[in-house]
Amino acid sequence: MCFSYYLGLRQKSEEFKASCLPPFQVTSEGISFHDDWPYAIHLLGHLYVDDCDSARFLWKTIPSSVKESKPEVVAAWRIGQKLLTRDYAGVYEAIRGYDWSQETKDMVAAFSDVYRKRMFQLLMSAYSTITIRDLALFLGMTEDDATTYVVKNGWIVDTASQMVTVKKQAVKRGQKVDSSKLQRLAEDVFHLEH
Amino acid sequence: MSSTENLITSIQGLSASSGDLSALHRILKGAEETLRADSDLQLSTLDQLDPSKHSLGYLYLLDVLTCGGPMSKEKASEVVLLIARFITSCDAEQIRLASDKFVSLCKGFKDRVLELEDPLRGVAPLLSAVRKVQVSTKRLTALHPDCLQLCLQAKCYKAGFSILSDDILEVDQPRDFYLYCYYGGMICIGQKKFQKALELLYNVVTAPMHSVNAIALEAYKKYVLVTLIHSGQFSVSLPKCASTAAQRHLKTWSIPYTEVGNCYNEGKISELQAVVVAHSSDFEKDNNLGLVKQAVSSLYKRNILRLTQKYLTLSLQDIANMVQLANAKEAEMHVLQMIQDGQIHALINQKDGMVRFLEDPEQYKTSEMIEVMDSVIQRTIGLSKNLIAMDESLSCDPLYLGKVGRERQRYDFGEDFDTVPQKFSM
Repeated sequence: MCFSYYLGLRQKSEEFKASCLPPFQVTSEGISFHDDWPYAIHLLGHLYVDDCDSARFLWKTIPSSVKESKPEVVAAWRIGQKLLTRDYAGVYEAIRGYDWSQETKDMVAAFSDVYRKRMFQLLMSAYSTITIRDLALFLGMTEDDATTYVVKNGWIVDTASQMVTVKKQAVKRGQKVDSSKLQRLAEDVFHLEH
Repeated sequence: MSSTENLITSIQGLSASSGDLSALHRILKGAEETLRADSDLQLSTLDQLDPSKHSLGYLYLLDVLTCGGPMSKEKASEVVLLIARFITSCDAEQIRLASDKFVSLCKGFKDRVLELEDPLRGVAPLLSAVRKVQVSTKRLTALHPDCLQLCLQAKCYKAGFSILSDDILEVDQPRDFYLYCYYGGMICIGQKKFQKALELLYNVVTAPMHSVNAIALEAYKKYVLVTLIHSGQFSVSLPKCASTAAQRHLKTWSIPYTEVGNCYNEGKISELQAVVVAHSSDFEKDNNLGLVKQAVSSLYKRNILRLTQKYLTLSLQDIANMVQLANAKEAEMHVLQMIQDGQIHALINQKDGMVRFLEDPEQYKTSEMIEVMDSVIQRTIGLSKNLIAMDESLSCDPLYLGKVGRERQRYDFGEDFDTVPQKFSM
């Protein structure tokens, strides 16, 4: 069972979601397993797919003996706590604030990457102008790195006022509808009228 | 050969076809008393049977062996493992012949798992048990509430949510239904699916009942809080379809909650917080303090949402003043969170310290939206077909027709209508 986690680590993509075995599937035989389970990676897996509630429930079920003996699990949860309290900059601090083991390093890096992209999308949809200082906090970078990052995406930086103007990206959403869907809609309307 | 050995042979021989199985079932029912009295019967006897092929026989033997009183932790652990394996591998057709026995076996399994304080072990087996004993996805079984209870204890909310997705239309025992809706509501609250939680809790609160029961009371308390979080409006009077017992008594037993509701309607955060602090021991006793806190923080969002309906642009400082937040930065964070959650559409302009409220950009033209509309329409069509079928069967029901006949005497429309007979002889 641990193997699928390591495979997931190497894939570093949405497929991790599928390969993430919830503990209860393993315990369909009714066996106990708590000491060997890779809780840190499990928590990070939930955070990777932006499911903070599942991470919170998982944390509640972890026995206190595991919490006391494995500081990495506590460190992984700290990231979750920052996400739940929407301490956007605090997430990066929690990521940087621990010396991750070989097994979890890749997972943490993958999460950090996906979180930064999510923050970038959020800034694009929520702000028309933002200070360089706040930008750096949201993206977890130095002010110079942050401005370089956004300039690549077409944003405009004004160093005099320390402000950045956001450039929206048009989102392409499929509008092509094939005939079978139209047929179904026509049948639905027929049913509703009779 | 002893009677137990005879029985084993019968089980092995008669488990193939449905005709054989009914004969076997009669034999098993007859032999139950002797089995319970047989002191030589051990768990190892079960090794002679295959749970997937001899499910019916295995079920009877397992029930006799495990229904005993308190047992040691090791024995309980062994029993739990054995029942879990049986549930996963048994044949659904066979166990449906003795569904009451299967249900009582599973309930015993749930109790043992809770005694061992390891509810996680029971979640997957009970999920599969529900699917196997269920005759159709529209029928509620006695195992649904037990499964949800274990999911809640083990904090496997996603697993519990998977059995809530069916539309339940047929119910045998009211208590099962109340518990199903109550636990289901709690699972939805955990998953932050407040719309569905509201539907389930509404079902308990408005269910027919002669007198208020504890489940309905607890459900009402959560119902009040979830209404505040989801729709932001509280009304002290229950929907008209609720029973008179519920309408009269639920409020009197949940005064702290109705006070929170009334205060929420006023819209003042500081007053609401004062009410919450005053009753915090009651909320804690009911395990509802977390939900109450969610309701309080939803008031900020509710107030900001009201602003979007009145203004096109507003400064962050003005928002902070109107919604009773400490400063403009806090207002900015609240607005940002609401944008992240999709509750409003707005653009924050830090240069001017202003927020511009926007319209919902959804134009309902995309193929994903068509899929969503299609599935909702399909579900509605399915439900309306069920409703028509229920209406037809009700209008043929003798009890209903008898009552209608009695009522009709009062409205005398003349000789044109035949009177409906008061009793039907069948």
